[in-house]
Amino acid sequence: MAMAPAAFLDPALLASISDLELLARTVVDGFMHGVHRSVRKGSSLDFAEHRSYQPGDDLRRVDWRLFARTDRYYVKQYEADTNVSVWFALDTSASMDFTTGTVTKFDYARFLVASLAWLSKSQGDRVGLVTMGDDLGEVIPPSARHLQRILHTLARTRASGRGQLLATLERVAHVTTRAGVVVVVSDCYEPADKLGRALDAMRARGHDVIVFHPMDPGERELTFAAPLTIEDAESGVRLPLRPDELRKQYKAAFDGHRDALTKRLAAARADYVPLNTDEPLDRALHAYLDMRAMRHPGR
Amino acid sequence: MNFLVPAFLAALAALAIPIAMHLRHREKGTPVRFPSLMFLEQLAIRTSKRQRITDWPLLLLRALALALLVLAFARPFASDSAAATADDAPAVKVILLDRSMSMGHVDAWPAALDSARQIVREARPQDKLALVLFDDEAEVAQPLTVDRASMTAILQTVQPSARGTRYVSAMRAARSVLLDAPNVPAEMIVITDLQRGGVAGLAGLDLPSRVTLRTVSVAPESHANSAVTGVDVRRVSDADRTRLAVQARVTSRGLEAARTLRATLEIDGRASGEQTFSLPVDGERVVAFDAVPLPSGRVRGLITIENDKLAADDTFHFALAGEDALPVVLLAADDALDTETLFVERALAIGRAPTVRIERRRPGTLTNEAVRGAGLVFVWDTPLTATERGVLEGFVKAGGGAVVVVGRRLSTRGATIPLGAVTVEGTTDRFADRGGTFGEVQNEHPLFSAFRETPGALTSARFLRYARVEAPAGTDVLARFDDGLPAVLERRDGSGRVITLAVPLDTRTGDLPLQPAFLPFLRRLVLHTSGHAASPLWQLTSEAWALPKGLRDAVVSAPSGEIERPAAGDSVAAAVRLTERGVYSAYAGQVSGDPVATVAVNVSPVESDLTTVDARELLVGVSVSDTEDAAGAGPAGSIELEKRQGIWRWLLMIAALLLVAETLLANRGWRGKAARLTVSGTERSAS
Repeated sequence: MAMAPAAFLDPALLASISDLELLARTVVDGFMHGVHRSVRKGSSLDFAEHRSYQPGDDLRRVDWRLFARTDRYYVKQYEADTNVSVWFALDTSASMDFTTGTVTKFDYARFLVASLAWLSKSQGDRVGLVTMGDDLGEVIPPSARHLQRILHTLARTRASGRGQLLATLERVAHVTTRAGVVVVVSDCYEPADKLGRALDAMRARGHDVIVFHPMDPGERELTFAAPLTIEDAESGVRLPLRPDELRKQYKAAFDGHRDALTKRLAAARADYVPLNTDEPLDRALHAYLDMRAMRHPGR
Repeated sequence: MNFLVPAFLAALAALAIPIAMHLRHREKGTPVRFPSLMFLEQLAIRTSKRQRITDWPLLLLRALALALLVLAFARPFASDSAAATADDAPAVKVILLDRSMSMGHVDAWPAALDSARQIVREARPQDKLALVLFDDEAEVAQPLTVDRASMTAILQTVQPSARGTRYVSAMRAARSVLLDAPNVPAEMIVITDLQRGGVAGLAGLDLPSRVTLRTVSVAPESHANSAVTGVDVRRVSDADRTRLAVQARVTSRGLEAARTLRATLEIDGRASGEQTFSLPVDGERVVAFDAVPLPSGRVRGLITIENDKLAADDTFHFALAGEDALPVVLLAADDALDTETLFVERALAIGRAPTVRIERRRPGTLTNEAVRGAGLVFVWDTPLTATERGVLEGFVKAGGGAVVVVGRRLSTRGATIPLGAVTVEGTTDRFADRGGTFGEVQNEHPLFSAFRETPGALTSARFLRYARVEAPAGTDVLARFDDGLPAVLERRDGSGRVITLAVPLDTRTGDLPLQPAFLPFLRRLVLHTSGHAASPLWQLTSEAWALPKGLRDAVVSAPSGEIERPAAGDSVAAAVRLTERGVYSAYAGQVSGDPVATVAVNVSPVESDLTTVDARELLVGVSVSDTEDAAGAGPAGSIELEKRQGIWRWLLMIAALLLVAETLLANRGWRGKAARLTVSGTERSAS
């Protein structure tokens, strides 16, 4: 029986697809199946204008016909040259390797990045990737030809080590010299104010920032029933506790953190998208396209 | 409930371990990985909440199992004190009946028997009784039994003995009797006249804590008693005959008033004298009988005073051997002057009991006939012919003694002294330093033991010249000169011994004969070397009588007429245990004719002292032990003990069950779930 395209957005189903390229294409195709096509408006390789030849320009782009007519060298400029660079900044700290269901936060984040990269590439954007562990990991500069490399990197990257989100975001800001879109995918275990300041710096460089915050239900609700000892995935610190007695307070603290992130990132004019790892990816894709449409109209 | 090893109970402190585990380490499973403790650490989880005991059933289970283990190792055993207090529980009573000589008092013995019979009568049918008869030894006349008839029968036949009192032997015997009834409260009932002289040895006695000691005193109201406690017999030689002078020592204690008594003397069963004398209230009187003609052969004597309430000590036996002489052969060289042996001969002639009879012989006259009957041969500084050497060696091997005096005649360098195998290396002159003295002396040797307290008596003697002798292997050096040379040597040969003297026994080269120690030294030299044992006038009951060494197939007739054939060891003479008052006679082969030896036996004078001791003093020094039963229980008792101590097995089994339950409980419910809560995304993300 044929599955509805939207079903391919279910992360539980995506988890069974080992090929990230196939996964990304499946997600995007399934997603685009019900989405307006107008989003592709303006994103083409159509001719835009001529400009005078400057030493160093590629001779292949010289408009020889116009040279014949005017005896001057002009270079063709295309719309594609104006598309944005999209940086995907993926948190690979050990805290991302957690689930109480079927898909870890890290897998969910990888699916998301792969899908968004595919989507961006299909829209003509240059896509790049930076992984953020205890330092910057892989850095793939944005390019129209780097999608496969990004997918390959995502496939082999594992979540481990202590995360240094603030420091790595600061370095990401330095790496991204050209203004574009920075897509941060992280569980955001940093104070909202500090994270906001890091994104402020990124925004100051002209980047549009969207933060995806994948959350596991167990992490959000502290769903453990019995007394147990939990161990911090990154620091190894152990803490015996009785979840029944702490659940309410914990949930309040977690929600408070999320609310603080919402407010602080809004103040930083960054989009903040909390995601549950048990929900389909379409909401994330919608949020991404909405941000693109809002920040880069006509492209 | 008691414990064999109560020290293990200290391990109950280990109960703190499971409690601490529950407070601090409630989760033994793998910790659950969690993305971040960022929010949890902000919650300020209270310590009290963390350390609260969350699983009381499990904690109680563990604590109970641990407590049971500790109790099991402490080896509890059921105390039967509760059972013992039950009215129908059988009681154990050991009757210790004093049958010593003093119990022969007319007021004591009937009362003692009545008391014993009363205890037997009053015992319940299920009670176990035992009877221990004791004087200075104890005899278990009846082990624990419920048979009253046997007890009564024994009480009808028992009589006071002629022996002393020793409570400790009785209590030890009773303690061994009680091993047949371990862990049962028992009572020792001592029926006695509480004689003070019998308490010796009680200090240090160890009795089980379950034993109670009760005394039934049958001591006469009056301790008054008079007794013959000793005798002195002397041979008095008149011009043509020898007479016997006898003195008796009579002692009185606690008399109400001075008494006039009559004492009689019997010699060989015939009345030989009578004396009337006055006896003080407390004191001693020596009663001298008129000298009587000395019969030939062995003499038996009996002294009797008028009986009082304790008649057993009113008679006193003594026995006198025939002529107690020790023949000594003095073999002296022809050129030996009389003055050379003068001091030795005169000194030996002084002693009595035995009297030393010296027969002087010239070299060449020493034959088997000459030494037959002799106790000692004195070789006075003269070489021996081969024949004489053979005679002497045979004499020594057969048990005789020889003393070889090494003087100037035997001091030829390289000469070998006969018998002792001692070689001579010449003589040593000590004129320059005014003579040598005794140096190292073996004070513990019988020859010198009399000088142990007065060593100066020997070392004051000086020797100007003496032989340099060397001691061969197998020869003991009993004394050395101050220059280290051997002075007195002893060698055992067969049954006899040879003493070699490098010490001058004359006054030409030494002054030992002029010293006070000379006489006792010479007498001990003769008695020790000859092996002659003096015959005492009497011995005490409970002592052993060593029969003469030469007596073969000895048969001993006791005063009561009982015959005993004591066995002699290879090197130990036969001995007889003296248990009766009177005269024991030893015969060779069969009881007929004149006895070879006799000995008179009397009760110790201590037994005539009827002074009593407080019953409470009887237990002074007696210690009580809880472990005596366990340590001393016999095979039968061990089974009972093991049965009573078997609680530990049950405790271990219960503890094991509890531990199994603990295992099941510990892995139940949320504990099992909690252990499965850990979810790792690493495996899932592998792609």
